[in-house]
Amino acid sequence: MRDRVGRRTVLVASAGLLATPWIARAQSNPIKIGIQSIFSGPIALLGTSSRGGIQPEIDRINAAGGLLGRQIQPVYRDSKGQPQEAARVARELVNTDGCEILLDAEASSGAFAVQEVVRDLGVLCVHSNSETSSLTADPKLRVATAFRSTRQGVHDAIVGGAHSAKVATEKKLSRWATCSPDYAFGRDTTAQFLEFLKHFKPDIEVVSQSWPKLGQPDFTEVITKILQARPQALYSALYAGDLSAFINQGNVYALFGAMQVFVPAMGDLPVLTAVKNLPPGIQSAARYLPTFPDTPANAAWYAQYRKANGNDYPTNWSWESATAMRFIEAAVTTAGATDGKKAAAALEGLTIDSPFSTTGKVTMRAEDHTLIDYAIGWGTTVPQPPFVTGIEPGDWGQIFELETEWKKKNGYI
Amino acid sequence: MDLDALLDCVTTSSCVVTQTVSGLIVGMLLFLVAAGLTLIFGVLKIVNFAHGTFYMLGAYLAYSVFVGTGSYVLGVLAGGAGMAVFGVVFERFLIRRVYGANVLMQLLICYAVVLICDDLVKIVWGPDFRAMGMPPEFQVPPFFIAGGVVPPFYLVLIAVTLLIGGALGLGLGLTRVGKTIRAAAINPDMVSALGINTTLLYSMVFAVGGMLAGLAGGLAAPVRSLTPGMGFSILIESFIVTVIGGMGSIAGALIAAVVLGLIRSFGTIGFPLFTEGLMYIAMIIILVVKPSGLFGKEIV
Amino acid sequence: MGRAHTLRDIAIGCLVVAVLAAIPWMLPGKAFQDFVIRCASMALFATSLNLLVGYTGLSSFGHGLFYGLGTYSFALLMQKTTVSLPLAFLLTLLISAATAVVVGAICIRLRLIYFAFVTLAMQMLAHSVIISWVGLTGGDQGLQGGIPRRVVAGIDLGNQYNLYVFSAAMLVIGLLLMRHIVATTFGTSLRMIRDNETRAAFLGISVWRVKLTVFVLAAVFASAGGMVMSLFVSGAYPELINWPISGDAIFAIVMGGVGSFLGPTVGTMILLLLNDVVTRQTEYYGLALGIIILLFALGLRRGVLDFVTERLGGRPAGGIH
Repeated sequence: MRDRVGRRTVLVASAGLLATPWIARAQSNPIKIGIQSIFSGPIALLGTSSRGGIQPEIDRINAAGGLLGRQIQPVYRDSKGQPQEAARVARELVNTDGCEILLDAEASSGAFAVQEVVRDLGVLCVHSNSETSSLTADPKLRVATAFRSTRQGVHDAIVGGAHSAKVATEKKLSRWATCSPDYAFGRDTTAQFLEFLKHFKPDIEVVSQSWPKLGQPDFTEVITKILQARPQALYSALYAGDLSAFINQGNVYALFGAMQVFVPAMGDLPVLTAVKNLPPGIQSAARYLPTFPDTPANAAWYAQYRKANGNDYPTNWSWESATAMRFIEAAVTTAGATDGKKAAAALEGLTIDSPFSTTGKVTMRAEDHTLIDYAIGWGTTVPQPPFVTGIEPGDWGQIFELETEWKKKNGYI
Repeated sequence: MDLDALLDCVTTSSCVVTQTVSGLIVGMLLFLVAAGLTLIFGVLKIVNFAHGTFYMLGAYLAYSVFVGTGSYVLGVLAGGAGMAVFGVVFERFLIRRVYGANVLMQLLICYAVVLICDDLVKIVWGPDFRAMGMPPEFQVPPFFIAGGVVPPFYLVLIAVTLLIGGALGLGLGLTRVGKTIRAAAINPDMVSALGINTTLLYSMVFAVGGMLAGLAGGLAAPVRSLTPGMGFSILIESFIVTVIGGMGSIAGALIAAVVLGLIRSFGTIGFPLFTEGLMYIAMIIILVVKPSGLFGKEIV
Repeated sequence: MGRAHTLRDIAIGCLVVAVLAAIPWMLPGKAFQDFVIRCASMALFATSLNLLVGYTGLSSFGHGLFYGLGTYSFALLMQKTTVSLPLAFLLTLLISAATAVVVGAICIRLRLIYFAFVTLAMQMLAHSVIISWVGLTGGDQGLQGGIPRRVVAGIDLGNQYNLYVFSAAMLVIGLLLMRHIVATTFGTSLRMIRDNETRAAFLGISVWRVKLTVFVLAAVFASAGGMVMSLFVSGAYPELINWPISGDAIFAIVMGGVGSFLGPTVGTMILLLLNDVVTRQTEYYGLALGIIILLFALGLRRGVLDFVTERLGGRPAGGIH
């Protein structure tokens, strides 16, 4: 009976193999912080450049004697970008590895899954990469011990809308086209951008919308479709490799001379430095730039990042993750404990010094656990460093006002 | 659905010209990848699930050679030659061990190679995407035919892929090696019985298949982004092309690739949100109606 | 397979559930429970695929369609209707069976690699529909908001331990049922079709009907596995119906052994262990996993359990050639 052998093998296997990884490890002295992100696959840059922002902060804290006198021990873990893996990894980091705090550097889909785990576990968690507004804006999704240290979709849409409306009025751009990746992030940011653009300039007309797939190798048919529609302006939420391919293929068709282009994700160093023949005059948000804010603190952080990371460029995710680590440091120090409830209470409304703000300080807003007062602004691309010039900072008073209106309209408050 | 837009487009010459060229360029690059896939299947009855990886490595090789020498032509040739060698190594050390094994075992081996190569690319070239950029000699503005936009670089690409496709067709049709390969596709035992070295022949088939994918990767590198894992979407589209065209038929792959390119370029105007779904439906219908594809021979 | 064997199998199954139920009392920590829940879900799915691959010779690349359909149907029924959990469970099995009748009727006419491709295309189409139908499925964000009404007969499946025992029991029941299926004369027909379809037809077996029946049965068990996953992740995600999920199941059965009934279960454990252990050690997960696969595939040239069986029993494994 061959199955009898099989069954015996199974039992041996389950007894021997299964137990090893889960023998609970004794909690030792260091503070373990679980850091999960995407370290493999096409968007591994999310994980590596987040880690590039986090690790120097941890080294700095440890060199200065640690947190509450305990050294910080990071536990990095790859979720491969799958929500069900993200949930499992989060649970395992806390339950098995004994992490007391989570720094969740997942993209949005993973962050939503981690949020639910944090709801169950009650540990302190700072999301450092998910920019989807509803994560913290929607009271149904909000979690008492979870925070977000990133820019937020709706803030970007407000500032982008205001800036683009101004440019559109100056240059008399009324016929608009959009071209964004066909998934929730692309659709939502495009809809929000158009909503605020129309708020500031009601007389625009959207003549063509294209939705290429994420990671699509060739955008030629989308580019020629845009050309057919003869718009005066184009908005695109494409980013990273897709954006680079779109620009290279658009250049072939002289797309960027034919219309004014608005690309929020352009202003990030890996894109700006990787794209050859960057067309001048693209309107872009400053995701992360060493020249915005143009302060010694930001320049110093930039230099230190490149030194610590083999001369790689920091990304938008790097500053967001570094900020998450600094908030964790400040909250635990203030609370005098790593306990989820106490640290969360300390983190609510906390203001810290930051290179990533035009005022030199960023705040974790108490009411919805999300970051405010960070550097946000739009400028114009040039083919040489500093790549984006004439950056106009967003007006936080205006952002708060319109954000509140937006929240009311969505039934969040 | 936006049928009015589609109707508008097909009745204006500028739109027809622009979209046709754009469909051709997408289709022809796809053809190069699919031709290798279909050739390997036709002769060896191996479904090379690692074929997208050949394309990816070809593109990265071309990128590095271009960065080093500044010559796009050298880059493309290096991509093709490098992948020809890689194809031989891949066949000799891995695929040869699973001839005649179940297709799932072949799938597993190829999957392992894809995983390994994606990570090797990440180690060598970094996790970030790379862009070659347009070689200076092709940085020329597009010109217009009947009001339609035609980029010179794409005309060159289409011409080059047509040349390669033609050379492949002639090579298979007229040369001795080509005839042997075609004979082996029909009856490998007979070819072997005639004293022809099938081992060498199989290596050559993988060399040609790898070279075609590598050339496609190199040719596309100036306009596409290079990322670890970029081979996957190409692999899926090549499969659709080979299945629709008939597995083993190079002429079928050419026609299916061009049709697919045109479906994309006109489909994006008429059905902007369902272009992808249309391709799968087309594939299912063709498989059900004619299981061996448009030009495939019945294989049971 | 006599009655005695069946009773013995049931007894062993009960014992396994009892032992598993006792383990958390000795080995605290939830990670082991998480592992068993995921393992139960995937093993049901992989074993159901082996009904097609190992027993009937139908190499499906798109079996994940039914696994994903199980997660989405179940989660949607729980979220959008007021039916109880057991009823939603049964309705999901029915939905999967009905879908499998249609999909199977189209696919099983095709042979070999063409069957593999058309099933894959079916799954990709289902995945596109899930992604596009944002209003119903949440699109690429997945179905969020959790699964309500998890209390069944006073037992709350929202509780980790209860879900763990429930999943283990589901796996054992599923395996026993599938074991029974392959042990009947129907199972004999499957193997005859696998070994020689023409001869099976001459012997009076209605090949088409038998193939369709096993396709539907496999779909039902796959969707049961999907439901366990849906309870585990509190929802449904498009990744659970995307092509790699079929790849995982193929991996599990080829690694574990297509010729042994428990091969897919062993393969699932290998796969999940590799995933959990290797991702802890390195971010070059693909490199490590790829090398391990090559060593296994080229070294053993068959699944682990088939290899062990041949070594110990000397009896040639069934399976595919």
